[in-house]
Amino acid sequence: MYPSRFRYEAPHTVAEAIRLLAAGGDNAKVLAGGQSLVPLMKLRFAAPELVVDINNLPGLSYHRADPDGTLRIGALCRHADLERSALLAGTQPTMAAAAPLIADPIVRNRGTLVGSLCHADPQGDWASVVLSLGGSVVAEGPDGRRSIPMTDFVTGPFQNLLAPDEIAVEAVIPAAQGERRGGYLKLERRVGDFATVGVAVSLETAGEVVRRAGIALTGVGASTIAASAAAAALTGHSLTAESIAAAASAAAEAARPRTDHRGSAEYKRHMVATFVERILTRCSAEPAERAA
Amino acid sequence: MAQIAAQRYTGASIRRSEDPRLLTGRGRYVDDIKLPGMLHAAFVRSPLAHARVLSVDVCAARALPGVVAAFTGADLEAMTVPGPDALSTLMGAAGPTPEFTLLATDKVRFAGDPVAVVIAESRYLAEDGCELVEVDYDELPPVASADFALDPGSPPLFANLGDNIARSRSRNEFGDIAATFAGADRVYDFRIDVHRHQNVPMEGRGCVASYDPDLGVLTMHAATQSVHVAKIAVTMRLGMEPDKVRVLAGDIGGSFGLKIGASREELATAAASRALGRPVKWVEDRTENLTASGQAREESFNVRAAVSNDGDLLGLDVTMVIDTGSYPGMGGMVPAIIEAMLPGPYKLAALGFESVGVTTNKAPYVAYRGPWASETFVRERVLDLIAKDLGLDPLEIRLRNAAPRTDPPAVMLTGRPLAGVTTRESLERVAKLADIPAFRRRQAQARAQGRYLGIGVATFIEAAPGPRSPEGASGPMGSESMRLRLDEDGFVVLFTGQMPHGQSHQTTLAQIAADEFGVPFEQVRVVVGDTDVVPFGLTGGSRSATMTGGVTLHGARRLKAKVLDFASHLMEVSAMDLQITDGNVGVRGDPASAVAVSEIARQAASGEFGADVDARLEVEAVFDGGEGGWSGGSHCAVVEVDVETGIVTVERYVAVEDCGVLINPAVVEGQIRGGVAQGIGAVLLERSAYDADGNFQSATFMDYLLPTACDVPRIEIEHLQTVPLDADVNFRGVGEGGMIVAPPTIVNAIEDALSPFGVRIYEQHLPPARILELIATAGSAQPSGSAQPGRSAQPGGR
Repeated sequence: MYPSRFRYEAPHTVAEAIRLLAAGGDNAKVLAGGQSLVPLMKLRFAAPELVVDINNLPGLSYHRADPDGTLRIGALCRHADLERSALLAGTQPTMAAAAPLIADPIVRNRGTLVGSLCHADPQGDWASVVLSLGGSVVAEGPDGRRSIPMTDFVTGPFQNLLAPDEIAVEAVIPAAQGERRGGYLKLERRVGDFATVGVAVSLETAGEVVRRAGIALTGVGASTIAASAAAAALTGHSLTAESIAAAASAAAEAARPRTDHRGSAEYKRHMVATFVERILTRCSAEPAERAA
Repeated sequence: MAQIAAQRYTGASIRRSEDPRLLTGRGRYVDDIKLPGMLHAAFVRSPLAHARVLSVDVCAARALPGVVAAFTGADLEAMTVPGPDALSTLMGAAGPTPEFTLLATDKVRFAGDPVAVVIAESRYLAEDGCELVEVDYDELPPVASADFALDPGSPPLFANLGDNIARSRSRNEFGDIAATFAGADRVYDFRIDVHRHQNVPMEGRGCVASYDPDLGVLTMHAATQSVHVAKIAVTMRLGMEPDKVRVLAGDIGGSFGLKIGASREELATAAASRALGRPVKWVEDRTENLTASGQAREESFNVRAAVSNDGDLLGLDVTMVIDTGSYPGMGGMVPAIIEAMLPGPYKLAALGFESVGVTTNKAPYVAYRGPWASETFVRERVLDLIAKDLGLDPLEIRLRNAAPRTDPPAVMLTGRPLAGVTTRESLERVAKLADIPAFRRRQAQARAQGRYLGIGVATFIEAAPGPRSPEGASGPMGSESMRLRLDEDGFVVLFTGQMPHGQSHQTTLAQIAADEFGVPFEQVRVVVGDTDVVPFGLTGGSRSATMTGGVTLHGARRLKAKVLDFASHLMEVSAMDLQITDGNVGVRGDPASAVAVSEIARQAASGEFGADVDARLEVEAVFDGGEGGWSGGSHCAVVEVDVETGIVTVERYVAVEDCGVLINPAVVEGQIRGGVAQGIGAVLLERSAYDADGNFQSATFMDYLLPTACDVPRIEIEHLQTVPLDADVNFRGVGEGGMIVAPPTIVNAIEDALSPFGVRIYEQHLPPARILELIATAGSAQPSGSAQPGRSAQPGGR
């Protein structure tokens, strides 16, 4: 468990980081929290020739809301910052529910939300959360910045849309149309385990009516799954036993689980329905922006 | 009964003298050893479960800058002496011996089997070198299950065996099986499976081997449970004279049975050091530890139980298949212990036991804390299954069947007397502490709210060391030796072959010696881990409390007599009138006469005494275990099962144990807590999983899940110290019991929680997904007992 030989650079500006990445091409990797990359390098599953450590880049550890409610999370914002965030606790029920469920406290102290999105692990929790919220990733390259919707950002297991000379500098969650409700539930056999199944539900409601719904699934497909039909079953309706059941069953149908040592495909599908139902039942019983 | 001279320390929770050093990061483990010129080894391992090795090309690796050497299996074969596994030899394992080499030559037998070793200036470079080694394999059909291994058509792992039977089928009968089963009201048939899981010490295997070409001496710094057993392995495999091998050990980060002797990799490291004339370090990483260090427990049992309508367990007829993995080790020895222990503390009339061991393309079977534990799992599971079928309370069926404590004691069907066994007392006490009636009320209320709580009880006994038998010493693996000396600085120095790796010997033995000799606890030094100075010994089998505690007590007593004898010459007082208290020799009733023991020792060392005075203040003591005795206890768990997710939470855990006289209650409780934590892990989390092709699925800590503080409740412990058997030594071992009895305790509780669904459990590993399957398939499970009074017994057979 010792990595192959690699060159290590720790630039102090985004521009320098981009130059290094451009020179490194396909054999360069960005290091932010390192909680996925370093274990992969130790196992020699990843053997980059160049590691560009972005921890010296200034001004990227923020998470803040614009006046209109748009939430921005910088590339060096750690899971632990989000776990302890009063902003999230007050305005982002799905994110606030997910943050304490990321891995374990040691990982949360170092790992980053943006890094988790870039890693594109089908078992990564944040990708589902951001997808359910209709979020996007801001990439910066030699030609400036571009915004990539989360629906497009992940192109496959452990694959994303970033060019080799681009750095994901920020994740963006758009402002809500109404009041937010939602939650994230994760079946882990033990604290720190990867998700056997994770379910993110993000609602924006006006009164009792759901104006926008996002449901996304972790660990039950080759990448994060947007359960669009399940979300559609809720949009325009209030949360009733019927609409909840319809969403739960549509979400289970959207899952593409595989049988493995964490459980059978049937079990995982069952867990998707159970979690969708549990989150929505809590949403229907609790005031906005407070649900699990 | 004679008492320990002054019971000042023994029996008290003295703080561990090891802790200040270990807890502040100042321990010295193998990986902390850095010798001048030291090289690093890394192994090339087979990615395949079963294949012929056609060629191994290490040329490119040898050419890599920083790589000093690369050895293939054939190279190593030429550098070493062929021979069987040292541990198997020591334990007298029977049966044909598979032929194999330290590194694979003709074939690989599990995914992770070492094929070549690269020695380099750093571990980084050694691993770079490994990537350059080219191995050509011809894949063979994997033998990935015991069932396939039993098939005569399965490809044999070892050509010289001709099949995959590692331990041939044997059957023993105790009592009258036919009559017992014919006379029973009911006969039950169960198949019970115990899954493969494994020792995961914080520190894996490792060694630094350092060969001095000028002296021809090999010094090995090892992580081992016995420096002497490791030395035997090195001398055998390297073909060296015993006086040319020295094995040292410092702190050891756990083992649980894994680190006995020296592994193939460690022997290869030693051979490499000798060949190169330089120190070589190998410390396994976590992937190697999980993949290749060894695994345990994969066993299945077909159980027939003869039972009366009142719940008397009259007879058991058991057929066991043990999957011993690829290379021989502990697996061959386990069935005999399981057979001996199967009756447990219960009054069975008949026992049939048949067993067969198979080789498969999986990591070798190693000893893991309570290697025979499946006998308790099977027995305690069967009792609950029968109780459910007969409508009996689990506590009631145990109390009904437990042998009463009589004089002379009842004798286990397999031969040993149940002397001093307190099963009945511990069961009654644990039931009272858990307040089962109150729990049942709470359980009913919870069920009304859709919550599923369950309670489980299980009991065990452990031969730690076991009662004295007419054939000889009661201690497992023979008697125990110790050298004791009074040094000129006034320290009582104990030289023991025990190799502590979490057992706290430096504290507990010092407690006993301090009390018996009469010095402060801080004035005892416990020397371990050097074959040049300590006597033969092995830490394992829960033997050290009785065996080493006993030899410490008797040795300190003899050393004290010798010191007093010498002091009587010096002080011109009869030894009868002298005593040692608080580190001073003095005349009874005359405090002014006190002389420090250090002064006595300095006088003895002065050489001013003639041949008629024995001034050598040193003794060698041997202890045969005395009357020995059993350890045992009963545990109770309360669990809650989320029937939608399958998640099990252990809400409460109560243990009532009897390990005789306590040396240090805190140390005893630590052993129980650790064992219970491993038992919780075994049931809810841990599995060494292989797929159908023999690919290992649990090679990281994200796949092999260990319990954390979140999964282990506060464990409530109460001690019984009921029955002294020996005049002096009534300490009994407690290292393994927690891990032996926790799995059936937890599984019994889970089955109780799921009883509204009719769930019956015949296995040990119950992760969330499996819990939901059990609920979904409840009712279609194994048939329950058939009431067939006229049915003739058909013992065993598969």
